[in-house]
Amino acid sequence: MPNSNIDIINVIESKLKDKVQIQLGQLGKAAIVTNDGLHRDVLKAMVEADEKTAVSAITGLDLGANLGVLYHIRTSNAFLTIRAEVPKDNPKIQTITDIIPGAVFHELEVADLLGVVFEGHPSPGHFVLSEYWPQGVYPLRKDVKANEIKLNPPPPEEAKQPEDEKVVKIIIGPQHPALLEPEKFAVTVDGETVTKVEPRIGYVHRGIEKATESRTYLQDVYLVERICGICNSIHACSFVETVEKILKTDVPPRAKYLRVVALELNRLHSHLLTLGHAGLEIGYETLFQYFWRDREPIMDLIELTSGNRVYSSLMTVGGVRRDLKDSDIPKIKATLEDLRNKLPFYRQVYEDEPSLKMRMRNVGILKREDALKLCVVGPVARGSGVDIDVRKDEPYEAYGEIPFKEIVYTAGDTWSRMNVRMDEVEESINIIEYAIDHLPTGPFRVKAPRVVPAGEAVNRVEAPRGELFYYVKSNGTVFPDRVKVRTPTFANIPAFLKTAIGENIADIPPNFVSLDPCFSCTDR
Amino acid sequence: MANTVTWARVKSPWVLHFNSGACNGCDIEIVALLTPKYDVERFGVKLEPSPRHADVLLTTGCVTQQCAERLKRVYDQMPQPKFVVAIGACACSGGVFAGNYNVVGGVDKVIPVTAYIPGCPPRPEAILDGVVKLLNALNPPKPKKQPKQEKQPELPKEEVKPTVAQPEVVASQEVKPVIEEAKDAKQ
Repeated sequence: MPNSNIDIINVIESKLKDKVQIQLGQLGKAAIVTNDGLHRDVLKAMVEADEKTAVSAITGLDLGANLGVLYHIRTSNAFLTIRAEVPKDNPKIQTITDIIPGAVFHELEVADLLGVVFEGHPSPGHFVLSEYWPQGVYPLRKDVKANEIKLNPPPPEEAKQPEDEKVVKIIIGPQHPALLEPEKFAVTVDGETVTKVEPRIGYVHRGIEKATESRTYLQDVYLVERICGICNSIHACSFVETVEKILKTDVPPRAKYLRVVALELNRLHSHLLTLGHAGLEIGYETLFQYFWRDREPIMDLIELTSGNRVYSSLMTVGGVRRDLKDSDIPKIKATLEDLRNKLPFYRQVYEDEPSLKMRMRNVGILKREDALKLCVVGPVARGSGVDIDVRKDEPYEAYGEIPFKEIVYTAGDTWSRMNVRMDEVEESINIIEYAIDHLPTGPFRVKAPRVVPAGEAVNRVEAPRGELFYYVKSNGTVFPDRVKVRTPTFANIPAFLKTAIGENIADIPPNFVSLDPCFSCTDR
Repeated sequence: MANTVTWARVKSPWVLHFNSGACNGCDIEIVALLTPKYDVERFGVKLEPSPRHADVLLTTGCVTQQCAERLKRVYDQMPQPKFVVAIGACACSGGVFAGNYNVVGGVDKVIPVTAYIPGCPPRPEAILDGVVKLLNALNPPKPKKQPKQEKQPELPKEEVKPTVAQPEVVASQEVKPVIEEAKDAKQ
């Protein structure tokens, strides 16, 4: 790959020396402190040097008199943070959406929750909060109390008719049979062709980021786990890893392997769920029933190893809460072997079944350059030929010691994205078997202090849906000062908005489900 | 005629699933109910996409501000008689999210609820048990004629602890007559 050995810090130093302050080793590889709109120049330099430069997240912070804006940037071989501050009484900052189009949603969220005004943003407005949200109240600011917010009364409904008779607006959601979760998409169609998609997310916004500030770190593990009912282990794992980074706690090796087993079991059930769900969306219900039938033994394994089907609360600061029994290992291996033997059949279905090929091949093509521009993550990026996988790029837990393949398909259509998941199922089985065979002996948990010293840390992990980002800022008490979560679906929705346009309206469900959308993650 | 309608309703309840801001945990367990291992369709339960054809509304989630209005509208669109089942700790009371700025907290703050199934998330067996209990409450078994017996001193009852979370059926205004009938029948 070109540019893969580039030293991005050298690039920034050579172009913007004396203008920016580089703090090595903070918030990723380095934190770059900028002022007066220089964040744009830093970003431009990075984008020119490295085509894989993408915005992972934008964190807004309430720093008292100022509002902090942290741009978390990933390049092909590094993870950096650009720091900027704006005064609270005039919180204006230049947008970066013209440099990196994938930052549109990130900026909207910070504007909605913290009141930072991004000058030049293409579509300002409410993003996650209700339309009736009172003006000038920004929930993530420290002076806002949750129980004092009163919503405006809803205005009387007006029936709006589109002026052009050929153009019809179809509202999908919030209650819709194809969507398990309440979200609204206004799709404008010309005949059968989609010309515009306007998302309205925020129906599942529960204010978890604010809620973490009033709970202790230990309580927060249970709270962040409940961000998503599908990929819950990875949320808990990422949060405890971030806290462990601030605490500088070393997790025992056995706990690292046990975490990998739990995370990969989670990935298995999530991928099987999506592969089946795709069948349901294209009207192939048999496939859905087959995949979900084979998902149940995995749920049983999760229950066997962690104690519960869904919310196991296995992760805790300093390790895991439960050891793996030697007597359970034969059952785990037998179940995984069963699943492995069933995979060739499913591969054949995806290869040969004509109805499936018709609905998925060449549908929703996301080209590699678009995938890079829109900063997509996970199987969506890997289906478009972008080889990013945090397990490989920045190994966490025991992933550095476990051999596995990174699955990349290049076609970029719905079929490729589903096949990435299909191959990852097999890789996950291999990882679990390797981890169980090479399980180190020793303790599975160390004691960690309840009070976390002041500091901040960022952490990235590979959730089933892609890169999951956590930022935790502590203030020396048992309560965190700020917890920021950027979930993979949040980064992937722009890909759907891009690929749906120009396609047939009937192709929306398979295209959409190939992103593996999870809105409880997106909205938090 | 009324008996026939009750019979039909109990044998084939059509359920509508509405997520009012849940984390997907309960929702996936509801979908898991339809799949081969649990197969709720053998009780005649069918997942129905439209509120206008549904008998039972299965709600999950802590009811966010945006969803509250929509939940009310979906409930209003359902034909009478209608029943609401609140699935999961969030739907029962707001759960871990109670008190957050965008959360109303609990389905019963917006619409009347017939049955509560606690759990985070409740196991598919518990949801199944809750739905069956609701259906039994609609069509209580007829009291058998028993021969007159002399009154015997009551023995202390042994408490049996349930293995799974037991859903409790709570009467709301909508279904009060039906539930009272059920109580009468038991007496």
